Amino acid sequence: MIVATLALNTFREAVRDKILYVLMIFGVLMILVSRAIGFVSIGSEAKVMTDLGLTSIWIFSGMVSIFIGTGLIYKEIDKCTIYTILSKPTERWQFIAGKYFGLLLTTFVNITILSAAFLGYLWICNAGISLALIQALVLTFIEMMIVTAIAIFFSSASTPILSAIFTTIIFFAGQMTKWVVDLGSSVKDTAPWVGKLLYGVYLFMPNLHNFNVRSEAVLATHDSLAIAISASEMWSCAIYGFSYTLALLLAAHLMFSRRNL
Amino acid sequence: MGKLGTNSEEGLTDDAAIRTSGLGIVYNPGLFAAKKVGLSGLDMVVPRGSTFGYLGQNGAGKTSTIKILVGLQFQTSGEAWINGGNVLDAKSRRSVGFMPENPYFYEYLNAREALDFYGKLSGMDRASRTRRAEELISEFGLGHAKDTPLRNYSKGMRQRLGLAQAIIHDPPLVILDEPMSGLDPLGRRDIRNVILRLRDKGRTVFFSSHILSDVEEICDRVCVLNQGRKIAEGPLSTLLTGKVLEVKLSVSGLTPETAPKLENLAIRAWHDGLLYHVQVDSDEKAQLAKAKLEQAGGVLRSMEQHKESLEEYFVRVTGDPGAASALSPNPGGAIVEKITEATQKS
Repeated sequence: MIVATLALNTFREAVRDKILYVLMIFGVLMILVSRAIGFVSIGSEAKVMTDLGLTSIWIFSGMVSIFIGTGLIYKEIDKCTIYTILSKPTERWQFIAGKYFGLLLTTFVNITILSAAFLGYLWICNAGISLALIQALVLTFIEMMIVTAIAIFFSSASTPILSAIFTTIIFFAGQMTKWVVDLGSSVKDTAPWVGKLLYGVYLFMPNLHNFNVRSEAVLATHDSLAIAISASEMWSCAIYGFSYTLALLLAAHLMFSRRNL
Repeated sequence: MGKLGTNSEEGLTDDAAIRTSGLGIVYNPGLFAAKKVGLSGLDMVVPRGSTFGYLGQNGAGKTSTIKILVGLQFQTSGEAWINGGNVLDAKSRRSVGFMPENPYFYEYLNAREALDFYGKLSGMDRASRTRRAEELISEFGLGHAKDTPLRNYSKGMRQRLGLAQAIIHDPPLVILDEPMSGLDPLGRRDIRNVILRLRDKGRTVFFSSHILSDVEEICDRVCVLNQGRKIAEGPLSTLLTGKVLEVKLSVSGLTPETAPKLENLAIRAWHDGLLYHVQVDSDEKAQLAKAKLEQAGGVLRSMEQHKESLEEYFVRVTGDPGAASALSPNPGGAIVEKITEATQKS
């Protein structure tokens, strides 16, 4: 009940943030201009539209999570609104969870609106909608679950600017984990400690690359039943996403639970 | 960490609303900065049903104590209980209402929404929340602005809403941090009246304040802190001994020239153009001075006793003459008792 109350309040707070609308408008504009860019690549209009649309949804959803999420807890402390919340019989983990789910709800609404605009536009343009496309959108949302948790994690201990910098770095670095592990393997004979370090980074960093099936979805535009990854791979991604998110929220709670306000 | 004695009323334990034992907090600002003691070894008992003033200069440790009691900060030594429940347990806050100094709210909410939000956090059902919010909005005079976003509220309105959210669930203990800070006289009166109403309902009110005259007016017990340490605690009636510090006699029919010499009696004597005033430092001296003045032809118009005020007590126990002026923005905290009013015309 308390978590739901705090989540709903966080959502109401987030939807009043102008930055959400700016990012959503830019996202929709990107989707709309994708057709114009598609015209340039003769014969690949549908692929370009799909690619640009999915990338726009991914990048603008990430920006919503980062720019709204990184200030959430800091703002509560800075504006002292947290005093009247934590002095009620509210546990600190409930506060963290409420903030997280409120932001996740905001991200969900954002992705839903952008996806509706994207799929509607594809349908109007006869560009073809495949199951792979839906998989890509679902995986984008699971990826945002992690990004939102990263934002909340940093927000519970740092200023919005630092939190935004750290979260953005991890957001992009997380796309390159496959590259990191490949690099580690290639240098493990010549520089073993570099190989070990890179493997450690790989283990520690969220493997956001797992959630990127946009290329597969683009290639599947011709077949509405084509899938990007199998159901078991989808489940693996979902379990990984939930586990990583839970670990981040626990870490955020540990940092926040004994913090003097 | 265990619970204290059981009291069946309202399911609460312990006969004290607040109890602290060796409570202390040390702030650690970082690697290269010195640690700062915020509070040290506080043993304090706030009896149930009392109106308890928590006094001290800025930085004395008042807000630190309050923050520990309501779970915003964590003690580094000692323990504290609220209605028998350890403050480290969030459940202990079910029986507490808290208003921070300068309460802040979500600006986009209106009073009804804000109270509903805090009611939900306090575990109230929808019907109770709606009923209680309407009651409090009306009681606190916010009816005209109940649908106005809080960003448009004045300081006094925010303060009243802060109090309303603290008591939305009708808790047996209300903790207020500087509830009258920054308010105009009318705002202060409103808050004072609310505290008095809570007291009349048998609630325990624990509040910190800089305004000693208000504390003196509404509290039955106080605790005084100085630099993180308790220096006095007890009922006001015990702490303020009632000892007469000064007596001012005002007589007509005398001038400095015709008045008798009172070198050994008076601290000060002056004529204001209408009356001749003499100030002495005890009742006995006042009686002697009165006799001499009347013997010289003066007619006593008034005799005012000046007893020790909380402000003067505060200065005495903290040993800092600048403390009271730093604490109380309004002078006149002194207890002045007019005991004689002459009826004869000069």
